[in-house]
Amino acid sequence: MKTWVGPLVVLLVCAAAVHALTLHLAPGFIMDRAMAALEARGVALHAFTTPNRVTPQSQSIVRSSPDLYYSLCRFDLDRPDASLTVRMAAWPDYQSLSFFDVRTDNFVVLRGTGKAVAVRLLPPGSAPAAGAIVSPTARGVILIRRLAPDAERFAAAGEAGKGDACDLVLQPAGTGP
Amino acid sequence: MRRSLSYGAAVIVGALLGLGSALWIAGLWPEGRKLAFGDVDVGGWRSDFAVGSEAADPYTRARVARHGLLALAKTEAVYFTRALDDTGAPLREACTYRLSGGPMPAGWWSVTLYDAASMLPANTDNALSIDAEQAGAGTWEAIIAPERPGNGAAWISSREAGTFDLTLRLYMPEPALLAEPEQRLDPPRIARLSCEGRP
Repeated sequence: MKTWVGPLVVLLVCAAAVHALTLHLAPGFIMDRAMAALEARGVALHAFTTPNRVTPQSQSIVRSSPDLYYSLCRFDLDRPDASLTVRMAAWPDYQSLSFFDVRTDNFVVLRGTGKAVAVRLLPPGSAPAAGAIVSPTARGVILIRRLAPDAERFAAAGEAGKGDACDLVLQPAGTGP
Repeated sequence: MRRSLSYGAAVIVGALLGLGSALWIAGLWPEGRKLAFGDVDVGGWRSDFAVGSEAADPYTRARVARHGLLALAKTEAVYFTRALDDTGAPLREACTYRLSGGPMPAGWWSVTLYDAASMLPANTDNALSIDAEQAGAGTWEAIIAPERPGNGAAWISSREAGTFDLTLRLYMPEPALLAEPEQRLDPPRIARLSCEGRP
């Protein structure tokens, strides 16, 4: 047997394994860094943060739109008795409430044009319940988008945002508020 | 001893090849590398309708995590990106372009300019995009240039953008667009008018 066959096989196996592992870990790694950056910029845990209008000087997420109001809430439902009460206040134009897990999947999006939306977020493994969403991962991000393409409407969106909520509730998930 | 060294070298080289190839194919390395990703191409505007969903392949998932974090699933919004003008040349700050189009099959839309790092260009011109409300019904156009056009036309500033691209957002897309994007989307045109002041 040629002496180079063994090392070549090892090289190919290592390359394939590291290739797959890198792709598997990259989104979570990037999301972790993004969540750390959001935390550093004052995005709260279990509360929607009042945003500044997206400008070249204020942007923190790649490809943010300057025409939208973004309000973020980080969550961590590591405890099985933890859940979140999430509320998106009414807004007369387009708005949505979207949930992202640590793998960057948008696992739920709820549209709320002209109306308020309220829902509970339960930790992974919870039993399905009416008016509730089960998160695929303990950690993630919730994002409210409101169409607000000028300064006046952005200010109005900020007023509407005072009615938003992302509250941690520590009690058995099945007995929600 | 020699045998151990060759196996050790194989492990190191294999790991580096695996790491580099994964980052390169996913568009994560080198920084700012443009990648023709996506499963939809309409007139040079590329999109991946798996963005934001569990169906995204590992390469798309990794690239979106880097260049489109917190993007919505396609039933709520789809995103098209284009980095070339109508002649196939890269979009550059030194050039002036006319962006034009018609009605879009969505509840609301916008076209926004991003630099090579997928960030808004570092200028203070307050002219980063055009959206459905500015465009109005029917056909529309905007000038992309580093200086405000003198004719009062809608303007997207490319000042400090370097080599850039455009993202077309289509919110509340019509179901027909998701089913047949090539038939349902009239893609905006990007005509290059001049470069460095010369036609």
